[in-house]
Amino acid sequence: MVVLVKRVIGVGCWVLGLAFAAGPPVKVVHVTAERFSFTPSQIRVKAGTVVEFRIASEDTNHGFRIAEAGINEVIPKRGKGELKVRFTAEKPGRYAFECSKPCGAGHNMMRGVVIVE
Amino acid sequence: MLLAPVAHGQDAQARRIEELEKRVQELERQLSQLLGTKKDVPPAPITQDPSPAPEAPTAESRLPVSGYMDFHFNKPRREPAQLDFHRFVLLFGHSFSDRIKFWSELEVEHAFVEGRQEKGELELEQAYLDFLIKPYFNVRGGMLLAPVGLINERHEPPSFNGVERPLVDTVILPSTWFDTGVGIFGDLGKGFVYKTYFMSPLDATGFSAEEGLREGRQKGFQSSFRNPAWTGRLEYHGLPRLALGTSFWRGSTGFRLPGVNPRVKVFEVDGRYRLGRLDLRGELAQVHISKAGELNLALQRDSGGSPNVAERMRGFYLEPAVRVLPRRWPHELALFGRYENFDTQNRMPRGYLPLKQFDRSAWVVGATYYPEPDVALKFDYTFMRNASSVVRAVNSVNFGIGWWF
Repeated sequence: MVVLVKRVIGVGCWVLGLAFAAGPPVKVVHVTAERFSFTPSQIRVKAGTVVEFRIASEDTNHGFRIAEAGINEVIPKRGKGELKVRFTAEKPGRYAFECSKPCGAGHNMMRGVVIVE
Repeated sequence: MLLAPVAHGQDAQARRIEELEKRVQELERQLSQLLGTKKDVPPAPITQDPSPAPEAPTAESRLPVSGYMDFHFNKPRREPAQLDFHRFVLLFGHSFSDRIKFWSELEVEHAFVEGRQEKGELELEQAYLDFLIKPYFNVRGGMLLAPVGLINERHEPPSFNGVERPLVDTVILPSTWFDTGVGIFGDLGKGFVYKTYFMSPLDATGFSAEEGLREGRQKGFQSSFRNPAWTGRLEYHGLPRLALGTSFWRGSTGFRLPGVNPRVKVFEVDGRYRLGRLDLRGELAQVHISKAGELNLALQRDSGGSPNVAERMRGFYLEPAVRVLPRRWPHELALFGRYENFDTQNRMPRGYLPLKQFDRSAWVVGATYYPEPDVALKFDYTFMRNASSVVRAVNSVNFGIGWWF
């Protein structure tokens, strides 16, 4: 078991090392989804950043869709884990995201925007 | 495009990182199992496609049908028990494109609808088109929910405690409050979102001492739009676990009454906050009706009796709830208590005395059990009080099952 722990730590450090040494910057953004909002709903990142969304729901399944990035994933229900989804923000602009899975009376209000600067 | 292809070297590296992350996750899971702490959290998906195919910007898509149901057992003290399929609601949506979207909500209340009789209701509570222009400016038109209060737009059974909706959201704010209208909405940034609509006004001929504005809703049935009401809501979601909101409604209501045209103003504030296992929510709502004395006289001329409509109605509630089961359990149990105070005779026009039985308060205590987050089994006991020394308030015991799909 100790060997296994060491392997996990080792691989983790290596991954982190690779990411910091050579890859583009990764920005982790924690988002809370609940009827009928994403918090935060406006996210600013620098162009060239790899954005890793970690999205947890406070209630039911929600969808997370950025049409212009071809992303459309389901956010697990409360207590069932979180969605991790990445994309690279290459060009400046505003990229809308929305809930793509019906979640209640106010489903159409559940939107946000990634602002790439 | 957003996802321009990256250099081949970076591609390979990104793929390698992804593979390694998957391996780390797998090792973490094995480690958890070995340590006997099996995670109830499944491995989270990571989507990392260096060159995903963007969707066609005008892709048309039909959303799956969804809905919610609400099934109640109510036993008022010294009255017969009732088993009621209170709500059967289906929601339909359609995206004509990324900028034009349709959303609707069709509800059957009390399971059975028969013309010209006191039975259930078939209601089209929402049916509107959204025209998405900018995050901060979008246009909406059709059958809308009035953006007033905590419950009116957020009324799925698993999203509130108690078998019935809060009494303030039933008597002071007449949820479900819906009608035809047009308006704008958007996200102003820094956590602020807004909506503001022009909607069909309330009809003062339906106002009453007991239920306030409730029977004044036109519900989109050939609604008069001669003097549209103006309504709006501002919400703040800028901090984790905190949601604040305030809303208003103002409009003339006398389109069926010759010579008197009372104006209704509604103001409301609400908030929700989560602190660990503790959920707090509260709401305060106030209604002001101008020319209430003239309105009472006009209605008395029509019906022979005065409805004793107040000049001011007011209500508030506070509700703490705590989730008591350990986080690692797949089920949840919330215990809650809600104090409500609501008075539809809060201030009377000159010459009218308040009916004290409508100065009411309630303690609602109970539990909500979630075998899974979209299914809520509810129990509560409601202790009703009023200020009358003659008319007794009736307590009740209630059970309910509500689900969302």
